[in-house]
Amino acid sequence: MIPIEYFLVLSAILFGIGLIGVLSRRSAILILMSVELMLAAVSINFIAFASYLDSDAFTGLIFALFVITVAAAEVGLALGIVLRLFKERRTANVDEASLMRW
Amino acid sequence: MFDRLPLPSQFDRVIITGGIVVGLIGVPFGIAMVTLVVLGIITAPEMVFFVAALVILLGAVGCVLLPNIVHAALSLTATLIGVAAVYLLLLSEFLALVQVLVYGGGVVLLLLFGLMMTNAHEDPIVTDGSQKPIALLLGSLLIGTFIALLISAQWGDPVAQIVPFDVFGERLFREFTVPIIVVAVLLDVAITGALINVQAQEESPPEEVLE
Repeated sequence: MIPIEYFLVLSAILFGIGLIGVLSRRSAILILMSVELMLAAVSINFIAFASYLDSDAFTGLIFALFVITVAAAEVGLALGIVLRLFKERRTANVDEASLMRW
Repeated sequence: MFDRLPLPSQFDRVIITGGIVVGLIGVPFGIAMVTLVVLGIITAPEMVFFVAALVILLGAVGCVLLPNIVHAALSLTATLIGVAAVYLLLLSEFLALVQVLVYGGGVVLLLLFGLMMTNAHEDPIVTDGSQKPIALLLGSLLIGTFIALLISAQWGDPVAQIVPFDVFGERLFREFTVPIIVVAVLLDVAITGALINVQAQEESPPEEVLE
């Protein structure tokens, strides 16, 4: 069987790459995509711990399921906001939208 | 309008280059993996894990670094499907299916629609005050810290077994009823909020005309 460290190291690297994307990207939608990477890394951690530490192996799965649901809701809502931002300001660049109102 | 969309054309240079790079990395990697399995150094599940990890990490790097937004979205799809393979290795079939359905289908489609409606061709090139060096520094620090902590800890052997679909559904709706209802309300609020958000600015111009 695969040692749990493999999964945890993979998830740590994936989370770090997602963090780099969130910090370095300028387009709002690309920031959203990097957040998805970080959420996937967290889900891997949840399921690895559920499978290795919990003989019931159930609570971690529920957490991961809820992470997926919340991520889907977040993407829908954030895309609505980005679309509205683009219609009003003609840009999806977060640097140009740092002021919410002027 | 269509020629302004950032869609990859049939002979897209980046896709061809990416395919060649993936082939150059993937073929020796695959040969090495199969050799190691045949020699008995690693087991077959470990080989599947390494292949999935390679797909995940290459896709993640592409998603973060590629300048064209559609290419980044395609890399994200590769990463998410690799994550589904890792879920399968961790004995949770249901979540692997949900991952492919929700992420590989819904979320990536939604993101691509968002990209096309905002008509954002490329990640805007920043000439002053680029955050990339700081981001790389912070990201590597985080990865290093995590890995150092993980390696020094003690972990046990796997204890879980597969949860069948019917048991999963039964326990989900019996033991986690209140969280399910809360998530349903959350999804409802999110959809309503997105609709109101988009409708609000469509109604605003007539009001200005009336005034």
